[in-house]
Amino acid sequence: MIRFFRKDDGVIRTYDLRRPGMRAIYIAVYAVMLIVVAACVLPIIWVTLSGFKDQKEFLRGVKSAADNKYYVQFLPLSFALDGYAESWNVMKFYKYYLNSFWSVLGSTVCALLFNGLMAYVISRLRPRGHKIVFALVMGSLMLPATTSMVPLFLNISRVGLQGSFVPLWLAFGANAFYVILFKNFYDTMPESLLEAARLDGASDLALFFRIVLPLSMPINMVVIIYAINAAWSDFLLPYLVLNNSPLETVMVRLFSYRTSDRIKDIDIIRAIVFSITPPILLFIIFQRQITQNVVSAGIKG
Amino acid sequence: MRRTLRARYGRDITGWLIMLPTLILFAFFVWEPLLESIRLSLYEAQGVRLVRFTGLQNYLNIFRHPDFWPAAVNTVKYCLWSLAIGFLVPIFLAIVINEATRGKGLMRVAVYLPNMVPGLATVFLWRFLFKSGDTGFLNILVNTFGIPMQSWLASAKLVIPVIVVTMTWKSAGATALIYLAGLQGINPELYEAAIIDGAGVWGRLRSITIPNLYNLARTLLILQVIAVFQILYEPMVMTNGGPNNASISLMQLVYRFAFETNYDYAKASALSVMISIALIALTLIYNRVNRPKDL
Repeated sequence: MIRFFRKDDGVIRTYDLRRPGMRAIYIAVYAVMLIVVAACVLPIIWVTLSGFKDQKEFLRGVKSAADNKYYVQFLPLSFALDGYAESWNVMKFYKYYLNSFWSVLGSTVCALLFNGLMAYVISRLRPRGHKIVFALVMGSLMLPATTSMVPLFLNISRVGLQGSFVPLWLAFGANAFYVILFKNFYDTMPESLLEAARLDGASDLALFFRIVLPLSMPINMVVIIYAINAAWSDFLLPYLVLNNSPLETVMVRLFSYRTSDRIKDIDIIRAIVFSITPPILLFIIFQRQITQNVVSAGIKG
Repeated sequence: MRRTLRARYGRDITGWLIMLPTLILFAFFVWEPLLESIRLSLYEAQGVRLVRFTGLQNYLNIFRHPDFWPAAVNTVKYCLWSLAIGFLVPIFLAIVINEATRGKGLMRVAVYLPNMVPGLATVFLWRFLFKSGDTGFLNILVNTFGIPMQSWLASAKLVIPVIVVTMTWKSAGATALIYLAGLQGINPELYEAAIIDGAGVWGRLRSITIPNLYNLARTLLILQVIAVFQILYEPMVMTNGGPNNASISLMQLVYRFAFETNYDYAKASALSVMISIALIALTLIYNRVNRPKDL
């Protein structure tokens, strides 16, 4: 209790908390925060628990012995994984997981490679005219990306890349936000490191792979984590490109359930659980990197 | 001669060659589509084939389209509701987390967690939570507090705020962490000086905390408006624009023109261009108000 009320930073200090009124407010704020935390976590718990129910239990609830009426309960009757396993197999989610895996892998590699190379050129090589390129990249950050969806889709179908992962992978290679993250990092790299390798006769391209990329692990991790999450969650372009092909990803599949009447509600609930499990695992593992870098990531326009 | 050229331009050429692949990608995925959508919007098109140049005809047709005005009004409503519901929540969360003595880490993780849930899964999930009737989770919840059950997404009056709540659930925590970083940048001596000057808790909050967040809040405000203006899949999945066009957005109308009804890519592009112009106007106003102090 004493440690709880000891506070040497921020607006409220130990000295304020000696007053009972302030103490009450402080505790009330904590209570509100508890509700907020619950509101953040509860929907995720709710959907996971609901996935254990069967269709009837999910829609109508459980019959109460007392008055013979149906009541919806928060907890499922049983925690057996049969329901999940059935949906996983019937909806062929192993296939979509595998497709999503390839899509995410290629996207992440492209995000790292192409944006990194451009940032390296703008930041270190600075050829004549690099400022124009940087201005164009910054400009595209300001312009709304979603509005060019239609011509982009037409471009992709014109070059015959529909039903393939290639356009989805390459789309991650043209991300203004990642270019800027990389550039800001490379800007702080001491020139002496590069100079030493240059004297050894390394070419500019070799320099990137041998020196710049390996020395940029912190920013590489940030971009990798963001690219994995973005590629996994992306569905609009993937839907337009992959719809009705054998390469549909988890999100494309989920998106196609929005108007389908043939899919049972409980199957959609389980599909939601399947689709959120990988990013949440990613979050549990890289929680520190993700929450610490949100500052640079958040301001992206 | 050749050697001097090489000496003068060699490094320039290598530089451009190294970023050439990325430049091509940017051209293909970002720059060309932006220009192409302007060109496309001035033509009459059948599928991917351009039939003839029609000038601003597509734009005029859009203004006469029965769904345009509901979509435009709704899009503005989305922005206003998202400011009303979603703008202050992250500031409040950040201040509270910053003031917490215990459980700070847990709070940060918990409020950020919804941001990791993919957007599409979020709207599916909340569509179930907002199910109408007496088996919907939120109906059961509000009923235990004595509030009558609602039809939520099926109610023309509630549908936009309900969708905005869903968006706020997903994004408020991430925004709160941005504010939190801003709060941690405040010099603690300011507070100590204020205490010596006899300022109470509210005084300190008003004269130190809030002014220090002001610049950040202004930036995030316009970014939020720009993001919400492009709202698309939330209404598409949760209501498909209904009930009776009560939640249809401009971007959703673009999607309908292009990919759902008659594959009228030209009309869709015209509407895209109109949205872009509105957003550029917003950005310009923002830059006018916000001199380069930050960013």
